[in-house]
Amino acid sequence: MNKLASLLLWPVIAIVGAISFGALALGRGETVSATWLVTAALAVYFIAYRFYSKFIAERVLQLDDTRPTPAVRHNDGMDYVPTNKWVLFGHHFAAIAGAGPLVGPVLAAQMGYLPGTLWILAGVVVAGAVQDFIVLFISVRRDGKSLGEMIKMELGPVPGSLALVGVLAIMIIILAVLSLVVVKALTASPWGLFTIAATIPIALLMGIYMRVVRPGHVGEASAIGVVLLLAALYLGRAVAADPTWGPMFTLTGTQIAWAIILYGAIAASLPVWLMLAPRDYLSTFLKIGTVVALAVGIYVVAPPLQMPELTRFIDGSGPVFSGSLFPFLFITIACGSVSGFHSLISSGTTPKMIERESHMRFVGFGGMLAESFVAIMALTAACVLDPGIYFAMNAPAAAIGTTAANAAHVISNWGFTITPDAIEQTAKDIGETSILSRAGGAPTLAVGMAKILAQAAGGKALEAFWYHFAILFEALFILTAVDAGTRVGRFMIQDMLGHVYKPLGDTEFLPANLLGTALCVAAWGYFLYQGVVDPLGGINTLWQLFGVGNQMLAGIALLLCTSVLVKMKRERYVWVTLVPTAWLLVTTLTAGIEKIFHSDPSIGFIALANRFSEAAAQGKVLAPAKSIQEMQRVAFNNYLDAVVCGAFVLLVLAMCVYAIKICLEAYKQAKPTAHEIPPMAGVEGAAA
Amino acid sequence: MRRVEPKAAGEAPPAAAEPVARLPGRLRALGQAWRQVVGIPDYERYLEHMAAHHPGDAVLTRREFFACAIDRKYGKSGPRCC
Repeated sequence: MNKLASLLLWPVIAIVGAISFGALALGRGETVSATWLVTAALAVYFIAYRFYSKFIAERVLQLDDTRPTPAVRHNDGMDYVPTNKWVLFGHHFAAIAGAGPLVGPVLAAQMGYLPGTLWILAGVVVAGAVQDFIVLFISVRRDGKSLGEMIKMELGPVPGSLALVGVLAIMIIILAVLSLVVVKALTASPWGLFTIAATIPIALLMGIYMRVVRPGHVGEASAIGVVLLLAALYLGRAVAADPTWGPMFTLTGTQIAWAIILYGAIAASLPVWLMLAPRDYLSTFLKIGTVVALAVGIYVVAPPLQMPELTRFIDGSGPVFSGSLFPFLFITIACGSVSGFHSLISSGTTPKMIERESHMRFVGFGGMLAESFVAIMALTAACVLDPGIYFAMNAPAAAIGTTAANAAHVISNWGFTITPDAIEQTAKDIGETSILSRAGGAPTLAVGMAKILAQAAGGKALEAFWYHFAILFEALFILTAVDAGTRVGRFMIQDMLGHVYKPLGDTEFLPANLLGTALCVAAWGYFLYQGVVDPLGGINTLWQLFGVGNQMLAGIALLLCTSVLVKMKRERYVWVTLVPTAWLLVTTLTAGIEKIFHSDPSIGFIALANRFSEAAAQGKVLAPAKSIQEMQRVAFNNYLDAVVCGAFVLLVLAMCVYAIKICLEAYKQAKPTAHEIPPMAGVEGAAA
Repeated sequence: MRRVEPKAAGEAPPAAAEPVARLPGRLRALGQAWRQVVGIPDYERYLEHMAAHHPGDAVLTRREFFACAIDRKYGKSGPRCC
């Protein structure tokens, strides 16, 4: 009976998927409903899960439910807990879902909806979900060890240390770019800034409540927090309109950047129970709620896709980010298809909660499919906007100027007809004074979400609230990531400093802690500040640097997966990881090298730096810089970006050499050489 | 309506019970699942674990448990996601 149902079900899903793709393909030149896009994506996910992940689980990894997992062996009711697979799916998804899959697809929408959609779908099936699944598997078979430790175990100590340095560098870039997204969203937006600022006292209140007033009653504290958050959202409009309060919350980009740097330094030094834990709960509630609401909203409203399937910017001349479709589309989308960061989560808390090996298929592979679905929805939200509005929000001021009239003129000349009135009306609808050059994805997504959700519930009157709700949702979990990321960065820096001078590595020693925090904040704060004052926009540089770093980390994780497969003597299946590894290395190395050496100054860091430093030496000021000092700063920062990018390239090449060496050695061995825990290692207590 | 004793949190009531009587247990299970999804430490589950696997051992108070679990989760855990 079950077999019959399956025989009937899968062809139906395949046909629904084919019809959806057909609707997308045949609708060229006219508007297509977004539901086709979302349905096509769902069909791909179901089929990939049913067939490809089953193949990986049964043939490649040979999952074995008789092997006790770390959660079973070390069950302590606290960290190591065998967890229901549906619950763990939710937990894993909440941990991997962040701002990345929201921002990347929005930026990539400048090339039209088709290239982004295709890469999000192909990338997740071939690379992203495979990486998350196999890293989780490797970690579970090694007692829940972290990525760094596993690289050390399987590839050797030098690659292990190299990977840690790489992770730290990528963390610093990501903290900077995420903070920059917040800055772009909150600049001159008193309503938004008030709401975000209010989350700080609300979190403190929750923290004190669940530690002192009613210890451990997280549910009550969270209910209070959510009510206060909504109250702050509601009050924000009045605060923004108030003649005395409004201007107090109207800050420039530089002021907000300093505020975030200060916030990061203080938040990361406070005890975790006071602010980090309560904020984390709040942001997780909002994250899950918003993702579900958006999915429902798209199906209820069925908005038409306004963005064409392809725009002329696939040639690399786009205003949002420069560089042609290959390789830059892949670098830009990043997290929604494959994210190196997930390899850190898949080797973090999740492996300690897996109840049975077979659950890893659903949690690891399935969790990444859900993340990809978020990316598809973000792309949809950006593509249901009028393309003119989309470009007004995402092109830098250097391209479109600072007035609605000028922006409408420039964007209409690109072939996306828009009137100044339409731009101003959109700003008014969402309760803001201007929508121009709010790059970074969050505001665009928020406008798209506001349009969809307002049509689903509340109508025009609630659009401004939905917009600020969407901004709140993104800013809240970005700021939580800044707090948590700064702490992790501090531990890593202290770990490295400890090798130089022992007391500096002591995490219980306050001066050493403060030094570690200061160094970490200074590092990402520097890139953030430069991004904010960069007359060329900031996001277009930093996001690509992040994309290169993130995809390189994914490449490193997949190199580990490949090496482990060879060491397990599963060579005949090695293509499962080798194909995505090779593709990631090709795209990221091409992108990395083009970012450094490309002769077009809008792509190559060195070309741009040379142009500005040469002009500065001759005393000329190039627009959009306004002084010789600004010129020199642009030059210096681009040289610095070239160095960071070069470090990523060298790092991944070195890892590649080590992995090849290990693979060849293992290939010659007759027996498996992977360092797995033996299948029947003692249950509970035996492994101390 | 029969109520399940707090000690039995998470355990399903006898299968014979009518759907309404099963409701409190169901709600508790739902609450527990939600806490695990969001990553909130679960004191009741910890108590059950201690009672089942280490009977007679001293257990942490609710306050101590939360302090310890939160410090462990955020203290030196892996990095956040993008």
